Amino acid sequence: MNYALASLAIPFTVALLTLLLQRRSEANPIVPAITVLATAVSLVFAGLALETQAVSGAVSHLNVGGWDSPLAIRLRLTPLKALLLGFVALIHLLTGLYAWRAKPKIARDYWPLSALLHTSLAALILSADIFNLYVTLELLSLSAVALVCLSGPKAYTPALYYLLLSLGASLCYLMGVAVIYGQYGVLDMTVLAGIMEADHSTRFALLLMTAGLMLKGALWPLHLWLPEAHTYAPTPVSALLSGLVVKGPLFILWQLWNNLAPEALAREMGPLFAAGGVVALVSGGWSAFRAPFIKTLVAYSTVAQLGYALMGLGLLLFLQERIYAVALWLFVLAHGLAKVSMFLAAGEMQTLLGSKRVTAMRGATQTIPITMSAFAIAGISLIGMPPTGGFLAKWSLLEPLFTQANHWPWASGVLLGTFVSAAYVFRAIALGFYQAPMSREPRHFDRVSQWLALLPALLVGLMAFAGQDLIAWMAGVTQT
Amino acid sequence: MVDLAIGLILVALAIGALLSSTLFGSLTLFFAFGMLMAVAWARLHAPDLALAEAAIGAGLTGALLFNALNKSPPEVIKERLRHPLSVALVCAAILALLVVSLLPSLDQVSPLPPMVGPRMDASGVDYPVTAVLLNFRGWDTLLEIAVLLLALLGVKVLLPTHTPAPQPWSLLLGWSKTLAPVIVVVGGYLLWRGSRGAGGAFQAGALLAAGAVMLRLNHVLPEIRWSQLLLRISVLIGLATFLTVAIATASFGDGWLTYPSAYSKALILAIETTATISIAATLTLLVEGEGDELQS
Repeated sequence: MNYALASLAIPFTVALLTLLLQRRSEANPIVPAITVLATAVSLVFAGLALETQAVSGAVSHLNVGGWDSPLAIRLRLTPLKALLLGFVALIHLLTGLYAWRAKPKIARDYWPLSALLHTSLAALILSADIFNLYVTLELLSLSAVALVCLSGPKAYTPALYYLLLSLGASLCYLMGVAVIYGQYGVLDMTVLAGIMEADHSTRFALLLMTAGLMLKGALWPLHLWLPEAHTYAPTPVSALLSGLVVKGPLFILWQLWNNLAPEALAREMGPLFAAGGVVALVSGGWSAFRAPFIKTLVAYSTVAQLGYALMGLGLLLFLQERIYAVALWLFVLAHGLAKVSMFLAAGEMQTLLGSKRVTAMRGATQTIPITMSAFAIAGISLIGMPPTGGFLAKWSLLEPLFTQANHWPWASGVLLGTFVSAAYVFRAIALGFYQAPMSREPRHFDRVSQWLALLPALLVGLMAFAGQDLIAWMAGVTQT
Repeated sequence: MVDLAIGLILVALAIGALLSSTLFGSLTLFFAFGMLMAVAWARLHAPDLALAEAAIGAGLTGALLFNALNKSPPEVIKERLRHPLSVALVCAAILALLVVSLLPSLDQVSPLPPMVGPRMDASGVDYPVTAVLLNFRGWDTLLEIAVLLLALLGVKVLLPTHTPAPQPWSLLLGWSKTLAPVIVVVGGYLLWRGSRGAGGAFQAGALLAAGAVMLRLNHVLPEIRWSQLLLRISVLIGLATFLTVAIATASFGDGWLTYPSAYSKALILAIETTATISIAATLTLLVEGEGDELQS
């Protein structure tokens, strides 16, 4: 547990330190270095936590303040939580490195804000107390909104909508917490898991919390704020928002329905989630296909891809088979990495090609091959074609569906989603293979940031080589 | 009878605030709503909530909203609630469902409040609310202070524009100079009282911030700038102390935020005092901080 807490405390300390180091209006050059280095250390600690948890296979608890349950806030560390801590640190490291290199220079407030975002995600992952989770959700949303605002006045309107919807969502979640506390008198998830009943009040509380979390997690049909906010944010921020921020509420939603909710209610809810997932895949994919701008395309693809996660959750609740939990979390990991790559590539393209439009990608394979490869590999993972992490995730979702004939509607939903994803990804990639326009040379060509955009895509590609082992390992990790 | 009157006036004020024809009118009614809400909390035997509501809910939020109104362009000021009827219907439906689902819990007794009593001796303070906030659920409070810092950072990112404050009239100037020391004393008292009764860092910090804002508006305080080390330290010190305690207890003690029982009173007092400074500085900057002050 101390390793996990170190992984949380390091970005927290760095956030305060970087704020203290803001002297004049110009940026302090050591701030990015400190932040990136600390993120790397935090990643190492998360790795150590994962190693301890995965080897022992155990769940550790910590009652904050040393008080006994259910009075204390309880922190809970499972192998999956340790894995997610590492994932959060890794994505922060990748985007941090990119932001360090970024030209023009990113606003100096990016560093403390991203460190606070890292802190809030780590706190969210570790917490096992439904009220403490509310506080972490507040932290998460506020830091995300402030990060979107870094783009300047053009981002203020989307950021304001994001803030208002997010506050509404917090309120929904909080009302649900109030009803549960009124009903059962405790806030500790591990205690609640044993005593929740499928009565009217519990049902309403769970629905309120679900609505709030789906709004924050941009899960269909409550995703409307996402495309604008993700499009107008600075590039590294878009990557963080798509790769991590929407996954936080998803993680709470998963715990809520998988661990807390009475099984009867969960079974009722499953098909609704799964159906929402299919609609998200198709409608999000269609909007991505029609998107005029590169970043809008990538943002709508997040809406679509979250459909897979929602499907995984729905099928897990409905059919109660562990393999869907594996599929869900493989999706989250693969999508996070692929989306970071795609947003960084999209940002690079905007700077290098001097246009935000998808049509500007014409001939990109010749002018900016590395960036284009990043975009393409990430895209292939999003479609779910081998050999990528996206394929592994989709395979674990599809394989059990194929074995039983009466599951054909869900299987065809997944396949339909695949076609739509393929359509929007190939629309962009195909443009890249056209003859490059003869005009101007790309401006300030930074090889390092192009490789930084490619790196996550390569990682997600590598996931496939672990194949069956990874699926088996994930099955162990998602047990608890 | 009094309670019924307060309840009815609260509802009337809320409706008035929503439907008022000008934003200025709405804000005034909202301010009155906050003050009356504080009275309602006091009637419900929740003095902490009453203090917090009066200082933060009505006072500070009111000041922030008036400040925002002052900076808004004229077309925003004329904006009114659209579709009041449909909004009201949706809210009424949610409220009805909420009441129905809370009804069965009226006779439920939570196991948590009885747990607080026997552990008060070990908590380091004599007042249950402070014990819950700073000890039993200290982790929530630590994160809440971080929320406040994030609110300030959010405003800082937005580069608020500078609007010159009008010249103070002499009566206000005289009053503010007389009030300032009183506010410092009352703030200190509220902080100290937190260990035995209603009070504590948030209330004291909000009061001190109100005093600082008043002095700033009257041009009595010198210019504040983000580049001043002292200001940054004041904003960060509360969170830094709390986090240091957490890290130290985890590394050398019995676990994250587990205060050694001999030092718990001293640690809580240190956290509360530094948090008061940070809350006061943060809230002052939130209300008064403007473009240049927050950037350079």
